[in-house]
Amino acid sequence: MDVELTEILDALCQHAPFDDIADDPQLHDMSKEVEIQYVRAGEWVIAPSALNNALFFIRSGAIEVLSKENKMIRRMNEGELFGYFSLLRGGKSSQAMRTIEDSLLYRIPARWFLKFYEENDTFSDFFELAREVRLRIAMDSQSSDVSLMTCPVVSLLRRQPISTDQSSDIRTAAQIMTEHRVSSLLITENDELIGIVTDRDLRTRAVAQGLSYDCPISSIMTHDPIIMDSGDYASEAVLKMMERNVHHIPIIKHGRPIGVISTGDLIQKESHGSVYLISDIYKQTSIEGLKNISRKMTHTFTQLVLADANTQMIGNAMSHIGTAFVKRLLKLAEEKFGPPPVPYCFIALGSQAREEQTIKTDQDNALILSDKYDPEQHGDYFKALSDWVCQHLDDCGYDLCTGDIMASNTRWRQPLKVWKGYFSDWIQKPKAEALLHLSIFFDLRGIYGDKTLAKQLNRHIRQEVKQHSGFLTYMARNANQRKPPLGFFRQFVLDGGGKQSHTFNLKERGIAPIIDIVRVHALACGSDKLNTLERIEDIEEAGLLPDGRAKDLALALEMIGMVRIRNQKEQIEAGEEPNNQVNPENLSSFEKRHLRDAFHIVSRQQEFIKFRYAGKRS
Amino acid sequence: MNKATTKTACVKKIPPKNQQDWQAMYADWAKEAPEGPLKRFYEAGMIAAQIPLKDTPLLALDLETTGLEPSQDEIISLGLIPLNHQTIRCQGAKYWMAKPERSLNAESVTIHEITHTELAEAPRLEAILDDILEALTQQVVVVHCVSIERQFLLEASMKIYGYPLYFPVLDTMDIERQVMHRPWWKRFGQPPSLRLDACRQRYKLPRYKAHHALTDALSSAELLQAQMAYHMDLDADIASYWV
Repeated sequence: MDVELTEILDALCQHAPFDDIADDPQLHDMSKEVEIQYVRAGEWVIAPSALNNALFFIRSGAIEVLSKENKMIRRMNEGELFGYFSLLRGGKSSQAMRTIEDSLLYRIPARWFLKFYEENDTFSDFFELAREVRLRIAMDSQSSDVSLMTCPVVSLLRRQPISTDQSSDIRTAAQIMTEHRVSSLLITENDELIGIVTDRDLRTRAVAQGLSYDCPISSIMTHDPIIMDSGDYASEAVLKMMERNVHHIPIIKHGRPIGVISTGDLIQKESHGSVYLISDIYKQTSIEGLKNISRKMTHTFTQLVLADANTQMIGNAMSHIGTAFVKRLLKLAEEKFGPPPVPYCFIALGSQAREEQTIKTDQDNALILSDKYDPEQHGDYFKALSDWVCQHLDDCGYDLCTGDIMASNTRWRQPLKVWKGYFSDWIQKPKAEALLHLSIFFDLRGIYGDKTLAKQLNRHIRQEVKQHSGFLTYMARNANQRKPPLGFFRQFVLDGGGKQSHTFNLKERGIAPIIDIVRVHALACGSDKLNTLERIEDIEEAGLLPDGRAKDLALALEMIGMVRIRNQKEQIEAGEEPNNQVNPENLSSFEKRHLRDAFHIVSRQQEFIKFRYAGKRS
Repeated sequence: MNKATTKTACVKKIPPKNQQDWQAMYADWAKEAPEGPLKRFYEAGMIAAQIPLKDTPLLALDLETTGLEPSQDEIISLGLIPLNHQTIRCQGAKYWMAKPERSLNAESVTIHEITHTELAEAPRLEAILDDILEALTQQVVVVHCVSIERQFLLEASMKIYGYPLYFPVLDTMDIERQVMHRPWWKRFGQPPSLRLDACRQRYKLPRYKAHHALTDALSSAELLQAQMAYHMDLDADIASYWV
């Protein structure tokens, strides 16, 4: 005789996701198979690297989640669920769970979890989203089965760094490397990293040169090697290695080296993906080859979405791919038209500069020329070069900019002094209408050529803004132009009219307003960052927003961005052209709820900047 | 759950000379009991006294009755749920309602949340006692307050089979009493409450609505798990604890 314990079902149904599926009759059957367990404080529920076969519900008490390194990741309380990460991966658990209070736990058999996960969208959305939100945290502890795109470099480190003092001689250094079986050696001075020596250096700079083995190792080391922070993504390491043609990168945490990552570590990690696309781009010698690669872009994009990458990672990857196309084309252009007569810098504007590109973007770019530029003498060269590059970018899927903000436009192909004049003019004598179309110029990144030109211009912009705070009033007003699609009762307001009558535009009405808001604050605090999330960090540090508000913006951006990316992936899979229009009817209740919250945050923050930068006149 | 935790105040073990030989008693009663379910129950026997607590098949039990006097009042519902020190298995839970000989008074109806209609449709206890016996076979029963629950079942068995039903029990109330035992110089003020709900709160167990036989069985099952985690030696013989 089967009987039901109403206590158990009632307790489960007071919490998400069960509250959302409370009317599913199968829940009754599930509750009958629940197992209960009382665990004293301080004991393992899922011991490190143990196999897990249940979804745990905390009926009372509290649990701490520990990473592989035994670091506490977070605390979970009454009503929360755990263990689903491992169930979704066949039971392998990368995190350990321990009680921190006396706890009463319900164990729901894995098959019930998997059944609801498969059959019920509301149910699975809950876990999908929980995954999204916790991805960053979780990444610290997962090292085995995530892709290169979603794991931090620190997770690939396999041993302590091997180092020696700069005064050691070459022979001693080689002996240390042999003893520890490493192909690179860090060189330190008073424990500070000052250089690196690799097998190749020993071969080419010592042996082949006939150098005495008693010479100090510092004579053959690479000074100030390229380093990365422990929190950087592994994918960025690959990009750096390919761009700079190095095979070893020391990883730094709090100013100290904690390990070295090598090409071997990365290749073992993954054999496909965006990084290989980039290396392919750099190998191409013809437009035809580049065009072929550009056709694989959508595949790479969907792969990234499937790999659980968040919007930041995807934006980063897509921007690096975009940048690779530009760089390759400019290299080919310089081969075709000859070396540049004066230095120049090709700059990306807008999303590419912010490293937030998605699958479908127009090109927004410009050229800063050295002040030695003479239009009579050099004009033809740079016109030909720019036209050629912009045209072929269009061939590679980066459509020509409808607003003509491209290097091929003479107005946006000017010497540094003219650019400085442009910005001084915009900032000192702001005109609301004109500024509306100029905001992307305030996201400006040098990507090829003499990048100091772009740096100088960015510095000029910051100085001008500092001296003319009235400009921020206009920017704040502009950031209020595009409103989130929320009605008075928090229902979604659709764009209306024609084909798009059942949809709204996530980019125009959600993502762009956030970027605008953040840009205003970033200019106000003199941040030199371009990426929106990095700007948010600077804003938070500068204390421009009340506590927690900066994080809210980051979360809202991630939430809206994720819905957009998912939507684009689905459009691609349905054979449609990806765009930014979303039909709310196609969203899960969970996505709707969170999207509403995100839009609400945007509205409030728009109000806030109006007052924050009200200026004298309003 | 592999980390050894120090147990605080321990439940006193029954010294070997005072331990009951349940296997022998069951064997005797199996000979005397009338043919039928009760005889089969005793014939199936009881687990050996040397089985460690952690390997003992435990079954939490709770009764709802028409009153508090075993000789006069009647059982109207009975809930069972199996457990060990690690797991309470809802899948093995069982629940019966029984229609009393005499009609319910209004007072006990409000306590039990069982309505007259529900009871009117339920079978008599004699129709379900066979099933209950089968469920109890070779199990060590867990109750909160042995004197009431065991006595009610004994009376019912006398009435229906004409022979007593008796079985070993772990009594969570008695265990708690020992844990709470205070030397005389500390016995000031109110003694701590031994009610099920009060005991549960000491282990930070959640509060349940009382007076449903199955929920209360679950309550005492959870309480015993907590007591085992805190105060009992899982490797000790079951004979050190059962009464």
